[in-house]
Amino acid sequence: MFWQDPQFGERLITMMAALVLVLQIMMVAQRGLVTNIRAFGLQSFLLAAIAATIAHFNHAPHIYVVAALTLIFKAILLPLVLERLVAKIEIRLEIEPFLNVPVSVIVSGFLTLLGYVVAESFHRPEEAGPASLGHNTLAVAIALFLIGFFMMINRRKALTQVLALLCLENGLFLAAISLTFGMPLIVEAGIFFDVLVATLLLAILIYRIRETFDSMDVSRLSRLKG
Amino acid sequence: MMERILTVLAQIVLVLFLSPLITGFSRTWKARLQTRRGPGIFQPYRDLAKLLRKGMVIPDTASWVFGATPYVLFSTTLLAGLLIPTVSAQAPLSAFGGVLAVVYLLALGRFFLALGGLDTGSSFGGLGSSREMTISAIAEPALMLAVFTVAIGAGSTNLSTVAQAALGQSWRFLAPSQMLAFAALFIVLIAETGRIPVDNPATHLELTMIHEAMILEYSGPYLALIEWSAAMKQLVLMTLLVNVFIPFGLSAGWSAITVLSLILFVVKLLFLAATVVLMETTNAKLRLFRVPELLAVAFILSAMALISTFLF
Amino acid sequence: MWPTRELYTAGLLVYALGIAGALAGYAAKRTRRWLPGLLCAVSLLGALLEFGASLTALFVRTELSWTLASGVPYLRYTVRLDPLSAYFNLALSLLAASVSVYSAGYIGRSSVRKSPGLFCALLNLLLLSLTLVFTASNILFFLIVWELTAVAAYFLVVFDHESAEARKGGLLYLLMSRGGTGMLLIGFLLLASAAGSMDFAALHGIGQQLPPALAAIAFLLLFLGFGVKAGIIPVHIWLPAAHPVAPSNISALMSGILIKAGIYGMARVFFDFYGTVPVWAGMTVLVVGVVSGLLGVLYALMEHDLKRLLAYHSIENIGIILMGFGSALLFRSFGHPQLAALALVAGLFHTLNHGVFKCLLFLGAGGVVHATHTRNMEEMGGLIRRMPSSALYFLIGAIAISGLPPLNGFVSEWFTYQALLAGFGATPALTRMAFPIAGALLALTAALAAACFVKAFGITFLALPRSERAENAQEVPLLMRSGMAILAVACVLLGLGATWFLPVFDPITQGIFGVAISPDLVAGNGLLLTAGSTGRGSVSTVVIALALVALGAIPLLLWLVWGRKSARLSGPTWDCGLPGLTAENEYTATAFSKPLRMIFAALFRPRREIQTEFEVSAYYPTAIHFESEIKPTFETHVYEPLRELVLSLASRMRRVQAGSIHVYLTYVFITLILLLIFGARG
Repeated sequence: MFWQDPQFGERLITMMAALVLVLQIMMVAQRGLVTNIRAFGLQSFLLAAIAATIAHFNHAPHIYVVAALTLIFKAILLPLVLERLVAKIEIRLEIEPFLNVPVSVIVSGFLTLLGYVVAESFHRPEEAGPASLGHNTLAVAIALFLIGFFMMINRRKALTQVLALLCLENGLFLAAISLTFGMPLIVEAGIFFDVLVATLLLAILIYRIRETFDSMDVSRLSRLKG
Repeated sequence: MMERILTVLAQIVLVLFLSPLITGFSRTWKARLQTRRGPGIFQPYRDLAKLLRKGMVIPDTASWVFGATPYVLFSTTLLAGLLIPTVSAQAPLSAFGGVLAVVYLLALGRFFLALGGLDTGSSFGGLGSSREMTISAIAEPALMLAVFTVAIGAGSTNLSTVAQAALGQSWRFLAPSQMLAFAALFIVLIAETGRIPVDNPATHLELTMIHEAMILEYSGPYLALIEWSAAMKQLVLMTLLVNVFIPFGLSAGWSAITVLSLILFVVKLLFLAATVVLMETTNAKLRLFRVPELLAVAFILSAMALISTFLF
Repeated sequence: MWPTRELYTAGLLVYALGIAGALAGYAAKRTRRWLPGLLCAVSLLGALLEFGASLTALFVRTELSWTLASGVPYLRYTVRLDPLSAYFNLALSLLAASVSVYSAGYIGRSSVRKSPGLFCALLNLLLLSLTLVFTASNILFFLIVWELTAVAAYFLVVFDHESAEARKGGLLYLLMSRGGTGMLLIGFLLLASAAGSMDFAALHGIGQQLPPALAAIAFLLLFLGFGVKAGIIPVHIWLPAAHPVAPSNISALMSGILIKAGIYGMARVFFDFYGTVPVWAGMTVLVVGVVSGLLGVLYALMEHDLKRLLAYHSIENIGIILMGFGSALLFRSFGHPQLAALALVAGLFHTLNHGVFKCLLFLGAGGVVHATHTRNMEEMGGLIRRMPSSALYFLIGAIAISGLPPLNGFVSEWFTYQALLAGFGATPALTRMAFPIAGALLALTAALAAACFVKAFGITFLALPRSERAENAQEVPLLMRSGMAILAVACVLLGLGATWFLPVFDPITQGIFGVAISPDLVAGNGLLLTAGSTGRGSVSTVVIALALVALGAIPLLLWLVWGRKSARLSGPTWDCGLPGLTAENEYTATAFSKPLRMIFAALFRPRREIQTEFEVSAYYPTAIHFESEIKPTFETHVYEPLRELVLSLASRMRRVQAGSIHVYLTYVFITLILLLIFGARG
């Protein structure tokens, strides 16, 4: 049946990976905070789907666990937390980043290119079959990572920096899934908790920063330089 | 087995009854050298007998450590006496402890003596304990290095083996390493037995007391035991010195002893005691903080003794 | 045959259970009174199980090893109970058992009673991680549990977190521990790179396969890294800062077995990973041992804080252990396996002995500190009447640590002397002088230790109380006394029964040097200890003990014959005509150590300040202020300059800090891009 054909899986995954990349670039271009959060949620959902697909074709049940965790935490829980935070601090729009939007998008393009170049060196065409499912997503993963990093530098508001960190982690997750069958469960769990705790901490901090400086502009923190 | 017990008993009797004699001789000669008459050779025996019969006063600040000290001191010193070769090269219990055991048994006695001094709660006791532990600590390196020289020469720390090895080579005393080690041990002997120039056994001034300060509060039988132990310690260390370095007259085994070997042993001891007395009379007591210098000299001498074992 | 694996895993599980139970108790709203007792019983059970496991592991002559795979490459949770590990585990379990018994009484009464659950959880964690440290057989696993031990110990040290001294001590400990681990990491990685594997089994004898320069660097790094934990000079400064401020049962464990983790590491590196080392390596270890021993005891003599004094003595005894190890390395370099085995036995036996009597002394000190609420010896005194059992146990520990016969300290020091003695004849001309000099300095160290413990015991327990707190002191409860009693009995048994304990070392020396040493060390139907043959010297602690008792009968006899009728009065001490002696007339600890302070003034650089206040004339002073201090050499000459250097470097680097997150992120990002580009090309 078609849902057991590896070719079908390959194409499904490629399509989802492409969507993920598109969402990421959209996040770079977007200025509305809530839209960004929702895009992130959708991205995470797609990643969970990719993981599930790989699990299905490789008959590896432990990846289902990972997919489920991604779904619960990153696709549902974190966006909820962040949206609630946005509602509390009553800011709707991101202010102008360091590099304006068109330039940022061009830079993201270059980073995607770099991602493909790097992924080439990992490419091993002789390994075909279900195990190599998802290898073509490595480029997307690296691009995701780099763009997330770039977003962290470019944005001023702490909230979008948090989002950028989460996208970065998404990229890592995708890389791990595509290269091997995910990282050892204990490492995966570690990273999850890491990210969860980081987000919660940052959420608290953002609120505090907003209260103290009346702004989420992180560049104002340089006033604290010793 | 029976022979072993007899030799042990014989050595006990020898150590117990010879030690006050040496003390008596030392005091009488010192007196004669100072143109006094002196108390007589057998006075220490009379003193011990008198003290054993007298009553005791125990300080009310003291605890059981005060009462245990004379017993511990007595038994450790006597046991050390059983580990050294006196009349025969074969010490009765030498298989059960060598020169290291002797040194540390004496250290055990000293440990308790120092504690006894602190137990009285008077400044004199603390003073004596402090100085005694300091001097014995500074004397240890020289002692140990000299002991090492002897042990390396004989290939063993077992004193019977050392004495027997010495018996085999009679004139090796004149070898440079032996003479240097002898000199070093002589200085350590002075320090450990508390004679001038390190300590004055006849003084009770706080500026000058060391051993006497620790035993100031002891009286009656306790004092007798402590004085006896001091005499025995002197005998042990002197015997170590004479029998390891000048083994003339040592008989090879207990069955071969004669009156001659006993007389030779006593004569050797008296010669050494005379030398000590001569040193005491011709020198003044050193200030406390000069004593480490003297012991440093002893250390250098024993280090040179060791080096000369493989240079000559 | 022997259920070693079952006992071992059962022990670990019991410790883990203890942690869980304690945390549950901590989380529960009300702390019940029986909770500390129950948790200590759990750790006691764990300790007993581990004791059984180690004992059986020593009898079974084959190696026991089991592994749990993890998903991470190079990391395998491998546990190996080879004779060396089993021996250290044995020591650990003995100390853990006595400390558990002691803690059951201590926790409810001391400063930790506010959160016993957390304390017991950390204690069990410490014991669990220490057991794993001694048995781990994979580099990464070892380092994980090593760090875990350090963290657990840190939290226990700062448990009394309201005291600034405790926080400072804990911080210093943590910092130096991290530095040590860093050195360990590099050293281990150097070794692993040659072996291609991180398992200890693959690293056996790897030292010979490295090029000499790398082998030397790895050796020194590992020596220094483990030395930080063990407390060798010059990386010892955390010991006197951290050990005194911890709760007393933790200080006991730390001095007793935690610093021995460093010794274990050194033993593993020196004798398992490196086979024969060049002469300079053994000589370095020997010299470090001598210096640590001597300086440790000299600094101990100047202390009047009871627990700091004991902490410095730990440094001294680590030095003695290293003298044994250094001699063993040298003998191995010159091809004398028998003598090397003798020296190793001396070092390992002293490890156990020191653990036992140091633990005993710390537990005793803990009782004293608890009863008088001060660590300062100058405020104690007269405690022997108020705390007779504690005094007796402390005295046993003091006699043992001074190396006096017939207790265990004497036996291991005797073996060390014999090893050093043999060194003179077994090594060529240039190195042979080191051994007698080391022996002489060992003698000095031991004699100074005896002096120090006369002071410690005498000032603390004897004569009159120097303060009201000491006057009102009370004996510690039964459980605390039982914990001390176990260790005191162990001291006596290890001393008298050393000949029966020596066969424990056979599998160790067999595995390392190929000789089973104990038949050579025991003679005379198990009565005599020898140094290889009776011709070389022998001693028998049993006979000495019996003889001492027997000879003590002579004065008793004399008294019965002569003195029974004489009076025995009690009277005041001679007071030179003053109106009665008070505590002010007694000797003080500072005064006791004054002669040594003067003699070694070049090292101590004592500073003394006396100020006299008077109103009418200087001959009638109203008050005199006395201040005395010694210069802490290592802090001023080694660590202060180091700290200044680091701080100046850091302030110069501060210019790189722009204070803006974006700039930092940009730094990282650019580096990342560059790495990717270069990495992808290559």
